[in-house]
Amino acid sequence: MASEFNINDLQLKYLELETLLDITNELNSFDQVPDLLHEILVKSCAVLNASSGLILIEENNSDIFEIGAHFNIDISVFKGLIFNKRKGLIHDSTQIGKASTLNIEKHSFLSKTHCKYALMAPLSEKKNLVGLIILFDKESRSGISPFQDADTNMLSAIASQASVAYNNIKLLENIKEAKTFNDNVMQSIVTGVFTTNLMGEINHINRAAATIINLEKEQILGNHYEYIFQFNNSITQMISKCENDSVSLSESQIVLHCNDKLTTVNISVSPLLNDMNESIGSVVAMEDLSNIDKLKSTFKKYVSKQIVDQLLENEEMQNLGGQEQDATILFSDIRGFTSMSETMTPNEVVDTLNEYFNLMIEIIFKYNGTLDKIIGDALMVIYGAPKSTKKDTENAVLTAIEMQEKLIEFNQRRIINSLLPITIGIGINRGKVISGNIGSRQQMNFTVIGDSVNLASRLCSAAKAGEIIVSETVWVNIKSNKLLKSQKLIPIKVKGKSLPIKIREITYAKSFFNYGVVYGMIEEFLIQRLPKEYTYHTIHHIRDVVKQSERIAKKEKLSLEDTADLKLAAWLHDVGYIWELNHHEVRGAAYAKSILSALNFPTSKIKRITDMILATKIPQSPKNILEQVLCDADLDYLGRKDYHAISLLLLKEFRLNKEISDLEWLKLQDSFLSKHSYFTKTSHSTRNKCKAHVLESIRQSLNI
Amino acid sequence: MSDFITSVKENNSIVIIETNGYLNNIGGEAVSAVVYEKIAQGQSKFLINMAGTKIVNSIGVSILIEVIEKLQEVNGKLGYYNLAPIVSKTFNIMGLTKYSTIFETEEAAVNGL
Repeated sequence: MASEFNINDLQLKYLELETLLDITNELNSFDQVPDLLHEILVKSCAVLNASSGLILIEENNSDIFEIGAHFNIDISVFKGLIFNKRKGLIHDSTQIGKASTLNIEKHSFLSKTHCKYALMAPLSEKKNLVGLIILFDKESRSGISPFQDADTNMLSAIASQASVAYNNIKLLENIKEAKTFNDNVMQSIVTGVFTTNLMGEINHINRAAATIINLEKEQILGNHYEYIFQFNNSITQMISKCENDSVSLSESQIVLHCNDKLTTVNISVSPLLNDMNESIGSVVAMEDLSNIDKLKSTFKKYVSKQIVDQLLENEEMQNLGGQEQDATILFSDIRGFTSMSETMTPNEVVDTLNEYFNLMIEIIFKYNGTLDKIIGDALMVIYGAPKSTKKDTENAVLTAIEMQEKLIEFNQRRIINSLLPITIGIGINRGKVISGNIGSRQQMNFTVIGDSVNLASRLCSAAKAGEIIVSETVWVNIKSNKLLKSQKLIPIKVKGKSLPIKIREITYAKSFFNYGVVYGMIEEFLIQRLPKEYTYHTIHHIRDVVKQSERIAKKEKLSLEDTADLKLAAWLHDVGYIWELNHHEVRGAAYAKSILSALNFPTSKIKRITDMILATKIPQSPKNILEQVLCDADLDYLGRKDYHAISLLLLKEFRLNKEISDLEWLKLQDSFLSKHSYFTKTSHSTRNKCKAHVLESIRQSLNI
Repeated sequence: MSDFITSVKENNSIVIIETNGYLNNIGGEAVSAVVYEKIAQGQSKFLINMAGTKIVNSIGVSILIEVIEKLQEVNGKLGYYNLAPIVSKTFNIMGLTKYSTIFETEEAAVNGL
């Protein structure tokens, strides 16, 4: 009977195998070193019948080992001990390099455990010792006994498995650390960066990129880039090309439209490669340009893409030195800016220069110019260096013309906003220059120097406001373009030249009054400046008056020119409300006179505009058909079905300045409508009937 | 009472021994000492609550076998409950469950022994 219960060797071997299998299966499920070590130790003690045990493990990057796990043992006896890799037990174990029994008496610290027998096995990473499993006192029914060879083999097998699991965890920790490091780097850089996988899904993104895309990271991750950038063909095409051709691409100044937000960015897309150099997706970097302080960026060196590409392709060009070549140089300078800026606050000066430079630099880049310098309010632009084309000089002249033309439009807006206009003079010369990277190694700028550059600067100084002065060399170079016109000027004497220099002025349409543009600018001005508390004298009323003026003018068969002037007066007839309520017509007429004169509106016609505005003062007093049309248009709503809705808006605005009861308001309307009469036949025929109904309804309300 | 035995109580004429720690030579001896003492007092049914014992070695198991042998002499029974999976597996491999019973809970053990 008793034999039935005896544990036989077969069962023990079965238990050992099962334990080893368990260890193999379970160890890889741990992701924390302490948990893993404890499990290894407990399982080892159990399967080998050890009474206790401990694991010494290497401290990170040091020669010192520490207790990583202990089982059934009082570790206070080890207090103050240093487990040094270079001597003692650890050193000996390194020498032995495999599982073996230990001589307790040889190692003083083991004797502190009061154990008799010990078995150790190394934990290794490749051939390096990273830890040591030590088991104490093999138990038997008769007491403590020495470990056997089979125990050594078993612990060796467990240690092998444990080493793999331990190294996996350390590897995982290293990967996590590297990932955290990368994430931190990614998150801290201001450039937006994201990566896509082979499926085109965005799988990593930093904070800056999410800000540019204007979505939360969670809303972006996992989505296809085509979906995230569905309104941005340029970027999707770049990524697609990068994916298909495994090429790096970059684009400057792309306007991204993401989630109702527009952001100007520089974008570069590169293939993402694995260890085998195979593409596993793309990495996209986006530099947000909208946050760059405009003025600061304006004062930075602007280099055209053309030059950057050449510099990148040709390393020699990155070195100091230069070459002689032909180039065209443009200088521009704001006339009288110093005295003008004296009347402005520092912020206004900065805003004005910002706006001006942005406009000009856009034109310069349009014609492939390289902005070499900004000196105060002056610009120096190079065409044809380092690489020249046949169109360099023509591009310089076209730049100058467009700069002057755009400035007219720029000034129209400033004039309408009661700001002083900016005028510039431009000088252009072509000739031999020394081009290259000039400066110290710390600060090296591509530029051109030489007499030709100096002459361009002198021509700019000679140019009056609105003029483009070019040297004869420039004109000879471009005169085949029949669209470009010039006129000879008296040769000028310049410093450093013994003979007078032949010069020409490039002519262009300097002064024109574009009604459409001015209407738009006045509308913009009114939207911005009309008092927001007004409910009747709003942009809607002014647009209505413009519309009715045009309608009546057409019926009255007014000429196109008269209609254009009429509409101009209509746009301006209530502008005076911006500044004052009571005499707004007078104030508005004064404003109109001031801006129309500055906008080169024919002087002879300015008075008809101001008279039209003044005629709208109640009681209306038109003296000609244009004034009659404007007066009728101004009160057109009196004879329309929307009268009551509009009059409520007028009442609301009226009550901003004066208390008035509903009855008083009805009486006021009755009085006003009874006395009012349209001036034009058109308004009589189209509005009188309805106006009579309106009056009748008001009188009914008054029980008259 | 050794550290391994944390409590000994009776429920419905069954002695319930609660253990904590390594069921090895020392732990096994502690259990057998309690059982033998209770047998001498006339008890024959024993349950071990092993909630606190997560690890066991073959020596501990062999002592439990000796306890079972002793109980068979008095027509007694031994059962266990609250076993960790690894302990349960070891008991199965070592053949312990042929002669003693593993229960899920104390209630099941008291009713089923």
